[in-house]
Order: sequence, then C-alpha cells, then structure tokens
Amino acid sequence: MNFTFNDDQLLFRDSVRDLLSNEVTAERIRQRWDSDSGVDSAALQSLVDLGLTAALVPEEQGGLGLNTVDFILIAEECGRAALPEPIVDSCLVATPMLVDADRALEGSDSRLGELLQAIASGDQTVLCGPSINPYINFAHSADYLLLPHGNEVHLVAIDAVQLELQTSVDLSRRLSKVSWQPRSETCIARGEMGADLWRSTLNRGALANAAQLLGLSEAMVARSVQFATDREQFGRPIGVNQAVKHLLADCAVKAEFAKPAIYRAAYTVAVAPTRADWSVSHAKASAGDAARAASRNCTQVHGAMGYTWECDLHIWMKRAWTLDREWGDAGFHKNRIHEWLLQPNALLGPQYTFGRRHLGDAVNPTIAV
Amino acid sequence: MKLRFSASDEAFRVEVANWLRDNLCGEFESIRFRGGPGDEHSFVEERKAWERKLGEAGWTCIGWPQAWGGRAASIEQQVVFNEEYARAGGPGRIGHIGETLMGPTLIAYGSEAQKVKYLPAIRSGDAIWCQGYSEPSAGSDLANVKTKAVFDEQAQVWHITGQKVWTSLAHESQYCFVVARTDPQAKGHKGLGFFMLDMDQPGVTIRPIEQLTGTSEFNEVFFDSAVCSADDIVGKPGEGWQVAMALLGFERGVSTLGQQMLFQNEFNDIVQLAKRNGADRDPMLRQRIAEAHIGLRLMRYNTLRVLSGSDQGELQAEGMIYKLYWSSWHRNLGKLAMDVMGADSEILEAEPYALNRLQSMFLFTRADTIYGGTNQIQRNLIAERALGMPREPRGNNE
Repeated sequence: MNFTFNDDQLLFRDSVRDLLSNEVTAERIRQRWDSDSGVDSAALQSLVDLGLTAALVPEEQGGLGLNTVDFILIAEECGRAALPEPIVDSCLVATPMLVDADRALEGSDSRLGELLQAIASGDQTVLCGPSINPYINFAHSADYLLLPHGNEVHLVAIDAVQLELQTSVDLSRRLSKVSWQPRSETCIARGEMGADLWRSTLNRGALANAAQLLGLSEAMVARSVQFATDREQFGRPIGVNQAVKHLLADCAVKAEFAKPAIYRAAYTVAVAPTRADWSVSHAKASAGDAARAASRNCTQVHGAMGYTWECDLHIWMKRAWTLDREWGDAGFHKNRIHEWLLQPNALLGPQYTFGRRHLGDAVNPTIAV
Repeated sequence: MKLRFSASDEAFRVEVANWLRDNLCGEFESIRFRGGPGDEHSFVEERKAWERKLGEAGWTCIGWPQAWGGRAASIEQQVVFNEEYARAGGPGRIGHIGETLMGPTLIAYGSEAQKVKYLPAIRSGDAIWCQGYSEPSAGSDLANVKTKAVFDEQAQVWHITGQKVWTSLAHESQYCFVVARTDPQAKGHKGLGFFMLDMDQPGVTIRPIEQLTGTSEFNEVFFDSAVCSADDIVGKPGEGWQVAMALLGFERGVSTLGQQMLFQNEFNDIVQLAKRNGADRDPMLRQRIAEAHIGLRLMRYNTLRVLSGSDQGELQAEGMIYKLYWSSWHRNLGKLAMDVMGADSEILEAEPYALNRLQSMFLFTRADTIYGGTNQIQRNLIAERALGMPREPRGNNE
C-alpha cells in the first residue's frame, strides 16, 4: 500500500514543470489569443521532444509504454501552466483509446498501429469527441478524430469532417462543432467493444480534467498568496488578516484532499479503465469543487485587480470553469455516485470498503483500496 | 504507487479478524460499536475490561517497539488492525490517550525509570490516561497556561495548583499528563513543565461538564497542591512546551482510519434510513448523500497518502489540513442525518432526554469544529505554515 510516486515519475514531472514555467508564460498565452491557430509551435515541439506524445504509446510502436499513473502528474503540470495546447486531451485520453482499440483488435487493423507510431514521433495528432462534450477543443489542429455513432467508434481523418469554429469564453480554447457522416470504413469498433472504449474514454477524460483542475487550483492559490503578501493596506500586508487567510486556507484544503482521489483514480484507470467510474467521479467532483472555490476566493483576495483583463488570474479562472464542466459536470459525477449508493442492493458499511478478501463477494465497483 | 496490501499484511488481516470474531462476543457483545467521541460515557467498566482483554492477547500498543511489549507493527499492519477493529465493531478505545500519546512520548523522551514505571500498565490495558492541556484562559492560546508547579526542595516533590478543563475521561483515569508553569516569571511557551500526575490523591477534584447532549464525557479538573514526584517530569523544567508539542506530533493518523470507519457506519445508517423512509427520492438529499460519500473516500485516500509518505513525527501539510476537513465533513453529516430523518428528527426517544444514535451524533458533531483546535485556528495554521502567508501580529503574551 503506497500512495507515493517513484523517482522516475517525479523526475518526468519536474522536467515538464521546468519547461512549462519557461515556455508557457502568461505573456505567451496572451499572444496565442491573437493568433489564428491558437498554437505556439515552439512550445508544442518542446513538449514533444520531452516525450509527452510518446508517453502512453506502447514501446513496440515507438512509444515509452508508460501508463496513466506515470502521466497524471504531467496533466497536473499542464493545468498549473494553463497550457492551451490540447496535449493532455491527445496524450492521456485519445491516444490510450487508440491503444485499447488496437489491443482489442489484436493489431488486425494496421491503420491503428501506424497512426500510433506517428503519434509517438509527434508527426500526427488524434483527439476524441465523445457524446458528452458537444465541442472538441483544437479539433482543427488534429489529423484524426475519434467520434461516436451510438456505441461505434469511428476514426475519421480531419479532411472528412466539417468544423464550425466557436469562440470560447476562455480564449485559449479553440472549440469546434463537428459534422460528419459515419462510414463503414471509418468504424474501428462497435457493440460491446465500442461501449467499453467509450466508457474508458469518459473516465480518462474526466480524470484528465480533474488533474488539470488541481494544477489550476494550486496555481491560483500560489498567485494569491504572493499577492496577499505583497499588497499592503493599513500599513501591513493584507495577508495578515484572517478574513483573507481563511479564504486561501479553504482552497488549500480542498486541493490537498482532491489530490489523493486523483492519484487513486489514475491507478484504477491504469489497471481497469472500464471499472473506474466510481473513483473517477470522486476525483472529478472533488477537483472541480477545489477549482471553483479557488476561482471564487482568489478573485476575492485580488480585490478589484482580480476583475481586470490585465491581471493574469482570469487565464486560470476561465480554464477552471470550462474544464469543470467538460467530461461531466459536478452534478453528472455526483449522480453516478448516488445512483450506485442508493440502488436497493448496494453493499455499504466498512466490511465492503476495504481489504482484498472482502472484495470477491461485493458488488462494489472499486478495486484494491 | 501501489494501492494493494502485501500478502503478509493480508495474512495479518485474517489473524486480527479471527481474533476479534472469537473474542468480541459474549460479555463484550454489548459494547460493539459503542464508545468514542460523543459516546465516551457509555459502558466504561466493560470497555476497561475490554482493554485488559486486548492487552492480554497483545493487541494493545502494536506499533510500540518489542522491548516495551509492542509488536513493532509496520504502518500497513497498524492500518489493517484499525480497519479490522472498526469493521468488527470494536468499541472506542478507552486507553487510546496512553497508547497513542503518552506512551510514544515516554519512549522518545522519558527516562529509563519513567518507562519502567508507566509503560507496562499502558501496554496491559490497566492504566487509563487523560490529557491536561486546556485551561479556562488557555484554549486556542494553549501556551497561556496558568496552572503552577512549585518545587518543594525538602520533600523533593512538585506541588501543582490550578485548573484544567475539557478533560475527556478524567473521572475514569489513573493518570493525567499536565502542562504547568515552572517559572512564574515566564510567559507563553517558555517556563513550562510536562508532568505525569496520579489522579488518585486528595489534591485532585473532578467535576463533570454536562454537554448539550445531556451527557458528560468532559470534565473540569482542579489541582490544589496536588503532589507529583520529582521523577515524574518529562524533560527538564522549562522544556514542557517542546514535550507537549512533540506528544501531539505522535498522532500520525493511523487511528484516524478507525475514526473514518465509525463515520462509514454512521453514513451507512443514514443511507439505509433514506431508503426506508423515502428520503432517497429527494434529488437534493441524493446529491448531499453523494457529496458525503465523496468526502468519506477523500479522507481515506488522504490518510493513506499521508501514512505512505510521511517521516516520523513530521507534521506535513497533508496532516495539518486533516482536522479542518473531517470536522467540517462530520458536522455536515450530522445535519444530513437530521434532514433525512425529517420531522421525526426532533422527537426524543424517551424522557427525560434520551437521544437516538443519529440525534446524538448530530448534536455532538457541533463540537467537532471546536475541540482539538477550532476551524478558525486550523485555517490560521494552514495559511501561515502550509501556505507561508504573513503571520498575524500576536498580543503581548509572546
């Protein structure tokens, strides 16, 4: 039983954090707002060079063969930096969906293996558009989209779809509405296999957002601690006052408690993504709660400055609002929990919550602790 | 990251579960699921007998070193023990202050003679301890202790005079550890001593405090020249604050897993009630039940994370935030229980003031956000120590 990360995982996290803090500054994020593509190619290439796109691709396809746990701290860092490019969406959500499909098909569809090789090398990008999200972020920058038709999974080239660009409240996001026609040659999975792929993908997407929301929360709190320490009123820093302190302490508590829920969900998604509904919903609901509290309280701590366009805080705040809603909002995830809890046969009580030997006879969808 | 217990830990789990199944029955059936905060006043004699039963079988103080009768159990084994104990409905541990606070403090800072004198009786389940920190003028400002300790050179004893308050289980305890001022000129955390005091003596008067639940588990304790041997001070006079704070650092969170299992039992009761009385059809209550469940799981993950990552005695940020989280969560659970009960929540079980389990829980949880450091004090600590925000100017006590 061990909730800690190993040295390799922490080292990977540190190098991504260093890169992001140098390459993805608030100033450069604002520059993206004025560009057509919304992408900073230099920053993106640096992330590819660090191995992010290869991370979750199997080694036999030129990837690093890592798993969700290895990448979860990276997603957190992308949130902390408010990274606009959809690295987490492609690497932690769409790529593993392709990997799962390729495994389920036992490599019989050579297009998937070839595409995974191109993804690992950073030459091509795939994003997915599950039915729960009406818009796809950065669809225009992708080479392929994974799209649903009932339970079917379709792998569709970007030139075979029509994109209708929408402007997001968060100018870092580039949303599109996608119109397309399902064809038999684009269908890579159907029936139970397709349903499983979409179920896993929903869990991966919600987890990916939860990790980013945690990073966003911590970034907002860190900026606000700095602001409350520097800003003086009545001859002393405003952070001296309990009324200010307590706002940020509450945010710190929410973020700190969301953390292990996210790591625990990452573990379950890595070993059994179709059975991770419960732990992913814990993670998404708690990380969303932390991010909403941070958005609200950090604005308050910044006073009137927090309401200005000039103050960078809204870069993080707006991202938090959008990611909290995407992949199922708080209500969606709480519904998943209470629908299970309040079903007539739910097994509750300590005897069903822990210990391997109690798991065999329980309907409890969680595994391990 | 590895979120499974090892095969040997699972074997240990079976051993614990089997022992509890075979022993927590018969004369002890009545104390299953009893005791603990809010119910500390119930079945005291039976729970004392249970402590001795645990002691005989070597199930007290399992984390202590073997030299002092412990099993030197790993953190994982302690987690497993606490889980199985709660699962079996093990009663609130009346000896927990000795086992988790006083014992580890003595093992770390006590003299050899003190260890020999006090540890065996804690280990056997015979000696019950209580904690003498808070005073009428030393609540959140714990260092503002007024209780005095004066050394009598001739008799070679300390005389302790003053008042402690909110002392849980004082009337059931043989010993109390007391923070008292050895230097009358000193203020704040300077000039304090840490004493181990025998409660069975003429200089000690105990008065129960009646809570809003109508029951009493806290007390006022008055010391009037109570006698404490020169050998019964831990550390030197003037080092009391350091010892007192080190003692609090020994609470590493293993026992909070047991507390969480009690919470799980309460949550379970609420869900079952909602299914029975139709409250489960109310969409707002359904959402709140889901929220309560999320909180319960988060507490568990957080504790396991702290336990798997922490170095001994270090108060990490994760540990610091725990009190604020669980107390707020439990307070909300109490209100949820009343809202699920609906109109019946205000009807007493019996005259003159018998509360059912959920009513009692609801009322007692009003204290959770206050005792052991109020939520406001916790937020100050988190902001200043974990986030590094500027310190609030203090009054003239330091």
